[in-house]
Amino acid sequence: MQIAEPLLVAIEELSKLPSIGKKTAQRLALYLLKSNGEQFESLVKALEDLKAKIKFCERCFNLSEEQLCIICKNEKRDKSKICIVEEASDVIAIEKTHEYSGLYHVLGGVLSPLTGVTPDSLKIKEFLKRLEKEKAKEIILALNPDTEGEATALYLSKLIKPLRIKVTRIARGLPIGGDLEFADEATIGRAILNRGDF
Amino acid sequence: MSLTSISLRNVRKHTDTEINFAGGLNYIVGGNGLGKTTILESIYYLCTTKSCCSKSDANVVKFDEDIFEINGTLEGLTKDSATVIYSVASGKKQYYLNEKQIFKASSVIGKFPVVMLSPSDHAVTQGSPAERRKFIDSVISQSSRTYLDVLLEYQKILRHRSALLMRIREGDFADSEMELEAWNQKLMSAGEQIINHRVDFLKGFNSYVAESYNKIMGKMESPGITYLYLGGTKSDNISKTFKDMLSEYKVDEIRRAANLVGPHRDDFIFEINNINLREFGSQGQHKTFQTVLRFAEFFYIKDVSGNTPIFLLDDVFGELDAQRAKKVSEYLSDIGGQAFITLTDFGNISFLKAGEKDRVIKLNEDSKIAYA
Ligand SMILES: Nc1ncnc2c1ncn2[C@@H]1O[C@H](COP(=O)(O)OP(=O)(O)OP(=O)(O)O)[C@@H](O)[C@H]1O
Ligand SMILES: [Mg+2]
Ligand SMILES: [Zn+2]
Repeated sequence: MQIAEPLLVAIEELSKLPSIGKKTAQRLALYLLKSNGEQFESLVKALEDLKAKIKFCERCFNLSEEQLCIICKNEKRDKSKICIVEEASDVIAIEKTHEYSGLYHVLGGVLSPLTGVTPDSLKIKEFLKRLEKEKAKEIILALNPDTEGEATALYLSKLIKPLRIKVTRIARGLPIGGDLEFADEATIGRAILNRGDF
Repeated sequence: MSLTSISLRNVRKHTDTEINFAGGLNYIVGGNGLGKTTILESIYYLCTTKSCCSKSDANVVKFDEDIFEINGTLEGLTKDSATVIYSVASGKKQYYLNEKQIFKASSVIGKFPVVMLSPSDHAVTQGSPAERRKFIDSVISQSSRTYLDVLLEYQKILRHRSALLMRIREGDFADSEMELEAWNQKLMSAGEQIINHRVDFLKGFNSYVAESYNKIMGKMESPGITYLYLGGTKSDNISKTFKDMLSEYKVDEIRRAANLVGPHRDDFIFEINNINLREFGSQGQHKTFQTVLRFAEFFYIKDVSGNTPIFLLDDVFGELDAQRAKKVSEYLSDIGGQAFITLTDFGNISFLKAGEKDRVIKLNEDSKIAYA
């Protein structure tokens, strides 16, 4: 089989994306090749901007265009609550429910001794610093209810306990072993409303 | 549920073998090395997607061939056809149910329950505690999905925890103390669930053991399984004992970077009239107890799942005296299900009778099938 090299390279690159197989990658590449210049240019620009303009919020490590993300900058958010999540995608999932108006802290993963993820590789020190400066009254743990997520939640609650700040955890009802990111909005919404002491 | 027919292609010695089975007892008779156990192994494959006897699927493929294929027709409420195919070249095993490929072994397990008594069961009564835990865990898992889930979770916690202990041993203890405490809490919560589940299970299972034992021995004795958890503690405050032991063993655990406390170190003691079988049992008593355990498993799963398992008995009559062998065969005709029994010689065991629902299947010198 002989295929022009630039096309081959494009297919290769596209198929590295999650949930895109070789066939889909080929279809996408051929589609882009045929699409008009304008559409193509705006896709390229969107991708470039994505990398160039999006960074991590200095305070909560959510994705952001500026030093502080739109949530941290919003004066109307309830600063007495900080919700701890694994990844920025979990912030999006919780925001979509419109049930939560506090702040976030994105850990960037969960503890996993087996794969070498230690407390130092997560944004935990940064979180403790935040607690010194900010006046949070409640920390909400919203980690995935799997083994590593629960161990991380236990670890965090042990760290926070001496500071005498209330620690809650979002209610179960999330599918066990499931990912927060994939749960439906109603389930996450209810879980946040029914959070319990931890 | 019963298996009405099976076909084997390139399964160990069997190049191309087809057998029709009876709904009751199927005696598979033939000299050593003719491929009797292989037939049971193939049935086990169809029911579980795995071999009973070999860790490697490649070993099961006939020498100098690439692919083995096992087909079976199972009749219960529905009629199902199951197929297992393995290729050495691709290293891949495929399972089909009614021509549709099944990708998760867990969606097959439990559909066709199976219980097997084999010579390797000697490890259950004579081997290490790990063998007894494996036996008990497999019986509970077959009837409780929750138990299987906790068990898998617990094993994951153990792997994380030993990696963490290793890291602590290599240096940073102060920093990791709280992390270890978090994993301890996970370990205790999953571990306690396992212990409680095993305790509850044995309350019911012990009466199955007693019943099977007395059927096979033909007299009343009191056999039993005693569960030794957390180093054999007598306390029923499991949480507290677990916690105390973790602090007691902390230094050791770090020094050895190993999980030294929890239900993965428990043992089960098999006893007859309060006499420890492992320490005082004769060969025949061991074999009797192994047989009893499998009969108990059979009836337990039958009652709990409402689905009668297929019973595979490999070489059971070899080590039992005539009287016990006779009792076992009488007991077998009561099981109300389908069983497959391998024998090297039918004629020598004079009390064996094949009834209307039973069949004697002979393997000839060239491993060809004949029905007697
Ligand atoms: N992968 C293989 N390819 C070909 N032959 C094999 C393979 N694996 C085992 N065998 C042969 O198959 C026979 C073993 O089959 P099996 O264990 O089913 O016999 P059996 O009838 O149960 O014997 P026994 O009465 O001694 O238990 C042996 O002769 C062995 O050499
Ligand atoms: Mg054999
Ligand atoms: Zn922010």
